Amino acid sequence: MLKLTRVTKKYGTQTVVDNLDLNIPQGIVFGLLGPNGSGKTTILRMAMGLLKPTSGRLSILEKYSPGDKLVRKKLGYMPQQLAVYPGLSVYENVLFFGRLYGIPESVVQSRTHKLLKMVELEPEQNKLAGDLSGGMLRRLMLATTLIHQPSLIILDEPTAGVDPSLRLRFWDWFAELAQTGTTILITTHHISEASRCDKVAFLREGKLLEYDTPESLMERYNCNDLEKAFVQATQARIGG
Amino acid sequence: MVTHWISWRIIREIMRDRRTLAFFFLVPLLVMSLIYYALQEDETARLGVVSRGVMRLFEADLMMTLEEEDIELVSLDIPDEEVDPELLEKLIWAELRDGHAEGILFLGEQLLEERFDGKRGRIDFYLEGSRPTLTASVVESVASAMDDLAASLPVVIDSSCSAFCANSVNIKPLDLEEHFLYGSEDYRLIDFFLPVFPPFFVFFFTFLITTITFQRERLRGTLERLLIAPVSFAQIVMGYIGGFIIFSGCQAVIILTFILTLMSFKITLSQVGAITILTLLMLLISLVLGLLASFLAANEFQAVQFIPLVILPQIFLSDMIWSIDSFPVFFQWISLALPLTHANVAMRNVLLKQQNLWDSWPQLLTLSGFFLGILLFLVLVSSRQQNSA
Repeated sequence: MLKLTRVTKKYGTQTVVDNLDLNIPQGIVFGLLGPNGSGKTTILRMAMGLLKPTSGRLSILEKYSPGDKLVRKKLGYMPQQLAVYPGLSVYENVLFFGRLYGIPESVVQSRTHKLLKMVELEPEQNKLAGDLSGGMLRRLMLATTLIHQPSLIILDEPTAGVDPSLRLRFWDWFAELAQTGTTILITTHHISEASRCDKVAFLREGKLLEYDTPESLMERYNCNDLEKAFVQATQARIGG
Repeated sequence: MVTHWISWRIIREIMRDRRTLAFFFLVPLLVMSLIYYALQEDETARLGVVSRGVMRLFEADLMMTLEEEDIELVSLDIPDEEVDPELLEKLIWAELRDGHAEGILFLGEQLLEERFDGKRGRIDFYLEGSRPTLTASVVESVASAMDDLAASLPVVIDSSCSAFCANSVNIKPLDLEEHFLYGSEDYRLIDFFLPVFPPFFVFFFTFLITTITFQRERLRGTLERLLIAPVSFAQIVMGYIGGFIIFSGCQAVIILTFILTLMSFKITLSQVGAITILTLLMLLISLVLGLLASFLAANEFQAVQFIPLVILPQIFLSDMIWSIDSFPVFFQWISLALPLTHANVAMRNVLLKQQNLWDSWPQLLTLSGFFLGILLFLVLVSSRQQNSA
């Protein structure tokens, strides 16, 4: 679905992503894990066509480049910020993002209702987004991301500031979406919760440390916690 | 003790924000300079004198009297030869139209004959008329010089005329007949300022709201979401224009209606159409300028700083209230780079000079150029920011 071949991104003399090779297959939940400043958001921005790599190549669905109009129609993005319109109602926000993708009016309206039901925001649909709590806003963001039924969903720290029960609900929704063939690319620095991903990549200072299933990584580093596996992978790389 | 740490934090942050520092220290200097030049001196009206026939003999004396007045005497590009009166009048109007003087006094050879016939004697006074302050200044100066001119003119007194009678003939006031190129003596000072209100207010409010709204769109992250959707940057700009045009359009209608009510003269439908087009052009310019300002600003604080930086020079240098002639050449060059300068000229041409909108084609062309130039710069800045973000 998304392939990075020797991708490097530099800002001046600072290398943020360093010669990265990554292949993310279709229909999985893929976790891009690493501490702040490890290059996760830069990779996402390159995948969305918002940034150009300094060198290397990114391809989506084998033949398309990020930023191509066809790719943009199939791409859903949920940023870390609460990027919705506080002056629009919950219903209007979802409708607006659907209309941006040119979805026919009757379809977009029925989809909006379905999505609001899914994220349990139907009773709040007439409330202004600006009046919602943080957790509700996250759910609204997810609904606006899914309205055009994207085949690649990029989620940047989707569970940041979300309470534990809602965090579990989010991961359930991600798993359900992956089962329908949607590819989900998630970044998080809550490494332990990423054990629900089908595959993960450990990143540090723009370099790829590991790339495998959470189970295999935990087995490789002989631990039962993905966070410990990450620490050991980092130490192993520093140790040489 | 905690207080000084809060102060320390503020000082550290501001010291690191060079744009804020510049705003803090340079903008007051700029504004004070503008106020200084704006209020430094009043505009000086220019007067030309044309005399024909025997009246040429009295021109030098008249000029000496007029030199004592607070006006500038200018020489005109009218040949000093006897020509058809109609042609001469055309030449006088052309001088006024070309902006060489605010008033031209014409001393015709019939003046003495009329005085000798016991009449007051007519002097034609041609006025440009579009700037009430200058018109008033030139009229006042000429009026006070007329008594001296009347006294210097020869008189014919018959033998039956007593000393008192002779004196009364001498001081008989001249008949000063005013002819206006634009407007009339009914033009009030406020009529000169009213036409600039619609473009200014539309520019000011649209720039203000666009800058803040788009800055919020960027900081909130929704702009990024728009940009990854199958939406082009041009579509976003057009969407903004479409959204704002309704409110700015309503605002423009309110301002225009208010101003048209206040105007002391009749406004035609084509004039309303012309000023609507000009206001719309200013709306488009302020919109793209607002978008550009929000792109150049790193945060809402910096975006707010653009507002006085863009608005204040336009108030001072666009010939809105103060004549640009009272400013140094440097500021006069800057005034040419301000959209409001050109909009004000066109608005006054349409409303005060009763000209066709298309007669102001240089201004229309310049304003369109401003819109396209800023739009192009905006696209460049936005794509550059995307690649370096």
